Amino acid sequence: MISKSLAMKVLNAALATGGDYAEIYIEETKSSSFTLENGKVEAVGGGLSFGAGIRILRGIRSVYGYTSDLSPKSLLDLAAKLAGSYDGERQIEVTSVKKQKVKIINPIVNPVLETPAEEKIAYLKECYEITASVSPKLVRIIDGLSSYRKKIEIFIAEGPVAKQFENFEERTRVVMTAVAADESGQIETSFKGPGRFEGWDYFTKVLDYKGAAKQVGEKALLMLGAKECPSGEYTVVIAKGWGGVLFHEACGHPLEASATARNLSVFSGKIGEQIASPLVSAYDDGSIPNEWGSNNIDSEGNPTQKNQLIKDGICVGYMVDRSNGRRIGMEPNGTARRQSYRYAPTSRMSNTYIAAGNDNPEDIIADTKLGIYVADFGGGSVEPTTGEFNFSASEAYIIRDGKIAEPVKGCTLIGRGDQILLNIDRVGNDLELGQGMCGAASGSIPVNVGQPTIRISKIIVGGRGGKLE
Amino acid sequence: MNMQKFFELAKARGIEESQVQIGKSSSLSIRLFHREIDSYKVSSSQYILACGVYNGRFGSASTQKLTADAFEYLIDQIILSATYSEKPNEVGIFKGSEKYHPRNLFNKQLGQIPVEKKLATLREVEEAIYAADPRITDADGVSYSESESVSEFYNSYGLKLRQRTNHYAFVAGAVARDGEETKTYYDIFFDNDFSKFDKEKFVKGVVEKALKKFGGQPCLSGKYPTIIDHDVASSLIGYFLSSTIADEVQRGSSMLKGKLGQKIASRKLTIEERPLAKTLFYSYFDDEGVATQNKAIVKNGVLQTYLYNRETAKKDGVESTGNGFWAGSKIGTDVGQIFVKPGKQSFDEMIADIHEGVYITEVAGLGTGMNAQSGDFSCQAEGYMIRDGKIAEPLNLITLSGNLLKMLMDLKGFDNNPVLDSGGTSIANMYIKSMSIGGK
Repeated sequence: MISKSLAMKVLNAALATGGDYAEIYIEETKSSSFTLENGKVEAVGGGLSFGAGIRILRGIRSVYGYTSDLSPKSLLDLAAKLAGSYDGERQIEVTSVKKQKVKIINPIVNPVLETPAEEKIAYLKECYEITASVSPKLVRIIDGLSSYRKKIEIFIAEGPVAKQFENFEERTRVVMTAVAADESGQIETSFKGPGRFEGWDYFTKVLDYKGAAKQVGEKALLMLGAKECPSGEYTVVIAKGWGGVLFHEACGHPLEASATARNLSVFSGKIGEQIASPLVSAYDDGSIPNEWGSNNIDSEGNPTQKNQLIKDGICVGYMVDRSNGRRIGMEPNGTARRQSYRYAPTSRMSNTYIAAGNDNPEDIIADTKLGIYVADFGGGSVEPTTGEFNFSASEAYIIRDGKIAEPVKGCTLIGRGDQILLNIDRVGNDLELGQGMCGAASGSIPVNVGQPTIRISKIIVGGRGGKLE
Repeated sequence: MNMQKFFELAKARGIEESQVQIGKSSSLSIRLFHREIDSYKVSSSQYILACGVYNGRFGSASTQKLTADAFEYLIDQIILSATYSEKPNEVGIFKGSEKYHPRNLFNKQLGQIPVEKKLATLREVEEAIYAADPRITDADGVSYSESESVSEFYNSYGLKLRQRTNHYAFVAGAVARDGEETKTYYDIFFDNDFSKFDKEKFVKGVVEKALKKFGGQPCLSGKYPTIIDHDVASSLIGYFLSSTIADEVQRGSSMLKGKLGQKIASRKLTIEERPLAKTLFYSYFDDEGVATQNKAIVKNGVLQTYLYNRETAKKDGVESTGNGFWAGSKIGTDVGQIFVKPGKQSFDEMIADIHEGVYITEVAGLGTGMNAQSGDFSCQAEGYMIRDGKIAEPLNLITLSGNLLKMLMDLKGFDNNPVLDSGGTSIANMYIKSMSIGGK
């Protein structure tokens, strides 16, 4: 999006005061959204996000700036301003720019942004009809489709030959919300949001959108009749797929180098030590083709890869970006991500999951006398320094005598990641991924969470329903 | 940019009436870590948001690419957006309010203070955190940031409005370690008058609040009289206010449907929206160009009004309350700065009659633990026990659960020390008769 010669000038301006790494990240993102309220198109949105971010590293110091004005003057001014915060001698003079090959692991067939609007609207109307047919108690049904295509150009200078990368991201998400209300004034909401780094064919031919549209309606109704969740310390079975948000919060964030490299994580310095039950192995893999959290290359030009984080309960790796990697002498491993040019990249998760174990999920429930089964989640959060995390169930049931019994609502699970992972005593063989958005220092980014059905021997459950009996 | 040209081009393409908002902002932020500048960030950015009525339908578009073809892009998008909309536009573009209350609260001096002075203050903050106690092992997220923005509003009826604002913020966290225990506390101070920053007071608060957490344990699960710290109370009131949005009420997804003029909370609750109050959150027009106004939303427990944009107001046969703000690609509804009426007692007086209760100082996970439609919530919390009218041992890893409407019915009052937080809500510590606490 800018010429090689301008990139070279900007990089040299950035490196004038002793920086040992300079990067220009340029982005043009086209987005489109359709929102239907009760089956009628209410809002059609289109937008263009555009700008460049410049980052200069010097040792473990980092400076970053961005602008939405890509004129040569604006970029050179920004580079000079940022360079002004260092006061060393030039170490690197860029003399040429070489374009790098980017391996496309996320091919796009039939791009969603180029699919006729009529087709997308008809798809959403079909979703609406399916949800609406579930019950007249569904007072409000919102169906949406949002897509974006991000064109990215990165220039990186660490020596006289700067590297140029051209990349793209293209993601689409279907969002379905159903609101159920009854005569007594009770209101419950449910949500489904399947998404992919893939073209329109996936959404029409592979995704079970009809099933999702039915489930979203059924779930809102089910919660309408649910009792309040009990509170106290209980055995909890967590369903496959979105249940992985537990691992995402409790373990994923504290294993990002942005926390571990600063000794600000419960898992700082724990490589080689047992941090989870021996039944647990876990990965972060940004290279699974076309998954929601996948990328061809990361935000620092490195190819994405499968990184093992935990092997049989032992911590074996972190997610490492360049800047934080320098603090702990670790090489970056393709995990630097950012929401947009407005954010400096840092180590982030992509598709993060607990690997499949040996148990049949039915057996895990059958072997639980009294506890709680969490079938679906709203999301959660963590403070990596203390390891304290929480996450909220959006669909949960009591387990009595090895069977799933009555549904409960208003269920929150809390704990410390370094303790809870040790309490996992069953791991199922039914691994599945689920899509979400993850917010942290470098913005809100798409991630997959995932796990098979697992059981936690004890965890604090918060609800308004008194003691579980 | 020549806005008249935009309106002419739009009209020539069949967009009868339209409006344009242009925003420009710049910012600076510096973060320290282990006595070094860890991150230094500067930015300048701009955007245009435009919307209009085409064939009786509303269309909108936005761009950050302010090149020569920006107007054409916006016009194409508005037409596309309107073409597929199935919702007839009932209100069109606003011609203008009778009276506006513009006020210049931009602080020129902030930008004139050299960055070196701001950095020096930041370094002092970091040093003071380290020096406060040997158990402080890290000062985390110690940062200074400032930003300046100007937003301009134009429409095809000749309405022109402009607002310029700036502010700065200091953020700092203390990480304290004692044996196996790690505790953290983070705080923010913001203003646009640099001289108002009291470094000693700020650092003292951060450090003390981190250190006091040592030894925190869950309490026994049960129902307790509960004091909710102003910060947490502010979030809870924020969710409550989302149910006063007329759009939610009209679509049947608000717990306040049919409750206008009714008692929905204890008589101790009075909530006012004061967008025109002279603070950093002052704002005199909304995204439809409607003049904002101060008003009571809840008075002595009785719901006074819903919050309207022009479209939802027309549906209910009332005037817009000046709460029309962009939500995605349509004009939705949002809340300006909020003032919750404080009580008369001090904090110590308020808790004096609590034999055994809980004081909640922080929560986490409310974003996903809150069902804003039903008002049911459950989240991670920490704080202290209250025993015999005094703050006692720290509590950690507990849950706070409740229902917003029931909680506000059970409201016993507020103390007399309201704080205006970084979200634009002024509220004091809140006393609730009974709430569910989950623990051991």
